[in-house]
Parts: sequence; structure tokens; C-alpha cells
Amino acid sequence: MNFSESQFDDGSQTSYSPAAAVKAKFLSFYVSSSSSSSSSSSVLNYLQYLQNRDTFGLIPLTVKQISEASHSGDDKSSFNVSGVDVVNVSVVGMVFNIVERNLDVTFTIDDGTRKLDCKRCYIHIMSDLMRQGIYVHVDGHLKSYKGEKHVAVFSVRPLTNFDEITFHFIACIHNHMHTSKVHKIRGDGEYMNLTPNTPILNGANGFMSTQSSQISVPFIFYGVKGVDQMGVHTDELAKKLKLPINKIMESIRTLEDEGVIYASIDEFNYKAVEVD
Amino acid sequence: MDTQNPAVLVNGDLLRNYVGTRVRTVIQVVRPDAGGLTGRSTDEKQIVVKGTLPSPLTTFVEVIGVADTAQSIRAEIVTNFGDAFDTNNFNQLCQLANGDYRHLFI
Repeated sequence: MNFSESQFDDGSQTSYSPAAAVKAKFLSFYVSSSSSSSSSSSVLNYLQYLQNRDTFGLIPLTVKQISEASHSGDDKSSFNVSGVDVVNVSVVGMVFNIVERNLDVTFTIDDGTRKLDCKRCYIHIMSDLMRQGIYVHVDGHLKSYKGEKHVAVFSVRPLTNFDEITFHFIACIHNHMHTSKVHKIRGDGEYMNLTPNTPILNGANGFMSTQSSQISVPFIFYGVKGVDQMGVHTDELAKKLKLPINKIMESIRTLEDEGVIYASIDEFNYKAVEVD
Repeated sequence: MDTQNPAVLVNGDLLRNYVGTRVRTVIQVVRPDAGGLTGRSTDEKQIVVKGTLPSPLTTFVEVIGVADTAQSIRAEIVTNFGDAFDTNNFNQLCQLANGDYRHLFI
């Protein structure tokens, strides 16, 4: 099932372009040699836009996630969603409020979670295909103006297969799960935020992998390196992982049921099961 | 779609949790009725839809509206979703969107 067909965009969609990055580097060298400060600043702004546009791929998000995104970086050229910088987004929803002007068209997309304004420059056969109430897939650059977020659209196409709506939301969930896993800290005495397949320290500098039968358990914790015979206290886990104690206990119960960990000296201290 | 209020993704079983609120779901059309239609949800529950329908109807439709009862929706928008739709995927999406990943949607 191919959802990547783009029937109506004008080819201006850019997700990742090494060629553009090389071009940006060349222009950067040229600008640094230039004596004109005003033209160099505008070129530098364009370079930054180009680099941001080409550095980050398309991130599938719900409009609710976008509405809750905060600015990141000094120049506020990107947004932060679940701790990850986002520049280009992919949204699927229903079209409303189409307004066509000479050089651009604006519309609102509503995916059932929130609404989001979109702007598409250089109308290209859109007026024949876009109409109120149809479902579309929008790819674009997330921007903010006077505190209101909107998308500068690279590509917009009506959906022909409505399984794509399900697929998009699943992709949003998958992206959220993936970015949640990325938050990890390395080093002695520190913890990792794990996937169900991530190895667990068994206290003897060896590792075993475990598979959680519950996809709903996002936090499977590491033991602290150098754990003693008493195991790890739940309070220490909560402190190190910066998680509420009820989440810790939920994970502990799941791992205990699966035979991965066991209570050592009391119900608050746990150790990983040693595997030969 | 009323853009002021989100519409919760539901299947037949979840509908009873959202009586009186805006919901959205995909159903398979069983038969048109007077003033609406009777359909089957992705988890095999019967759902009655009241409201204006597109013509002609395809096998699957998306219904966005307010849940009147645990088995009926007062539709605001009904959209044809064609004759082929993966009900199993949509059903699991509804469970995820109302479970651990609810905060991404509502």
C-alpha cells in the first residue's frame, strides 16, 4: 500500500537534500568573503532557513502536538515537540476555510484534535482539486507569527486511500514513542530510558535482553551500575529517572510478573534476575 | 468539523464513554434508514447514525458528530471512505488513541 504518491505537488517538497547542504556551505563561504553586510545578512537568513529545511525530515504530528510545541533554539527557527526539534511536519486532516489570493492560498486543516492554518505559495492547480471538506495530506515548514503557528506548505494532496488517515496517526504515535526512547543519559551511575528490547544490567556486569509483553509500559529501568546486594530502592529509581513513583511501581509490577526482577530485602528494593 | 471541539476517535465499545461529546468513527454501512443509516463499527458493534448523508453511500463512511447514546451518533459530517478500509488497524488506533497515547489526541 503506497501512500507516497504525490499527485498534485509541484515538486518543491524537500525533506532531506545533501545537495542543498553543499550549496549552503558554498554560499556561506561566499558570504563570509563578501563586503556587503546587508546582503550577507539576508543571505545568511536564507541559508539558515535552507539548512533547517534540509536538515530535518518530515515529522508526522497531530495538530494537538503542534499546538503544544514550544520554540527551541536562539533564533526560534524550530520548535520542540516531546523534547525533539521539529522544523518540517506532516499532517493529515480535513480542509476548511480555503482563501485564494493572487500569489498564495490559505486554508485550515483539522485532524480532529485541533485546527491549523496553512499557507501555500504559488498556486499550482490546487484550485481544481482543493475543496471544502476533503481530506488532504499536508507537508510543510512549521512557523510562528505573532504567537500563532501555521504551516508553509511544500506539498498538499487529497487522499485517495483513507487508510492513510489511520496510518498517519499510527505514525504520530510511533514517532512519539521513538522520541521518548531517545531521552537517555549515559555514564556511571546513570540510567537509560529503555525500549522493551533493551538489555538490562543484571548486577554482574553482564546483560540480558528482555521483551516486555506490554507495549503500554514505556519505562523499563536499568539497575544502577555497581548495585549492591540490597538492590535498588524505588525512591532512588524515581529520583534518577525523574518519574512519578506510581509509574515506577507500574513498571516494577510488570517486570516482576515477567520474572525479570525480584524484590530483594523488602517491597521497596529490587534486583534484576541473574542469568547464567 | 467544529474546530473548537476535538472529536474523539472511537469504536463501538468506546462510544459509550463519550455520550454527549463529539466523536468520530468509521463504520461499515449495513442499511440506510429513514433520516440516517445503521452501520457496524470496526469492533462489530451496531451503531445508528442520524443526519444528512452523502449520496451515493460507499461501503465505509466516517461519521463525525455527537454521541446521543452508547449506540447512536447525531452526525454533523459523514464522509465516504470508499469500499475498502482496514477496520482492524482503525480499531487498534482507537484503542491507542484512548489509552496511553490519549494525550496526543485529546
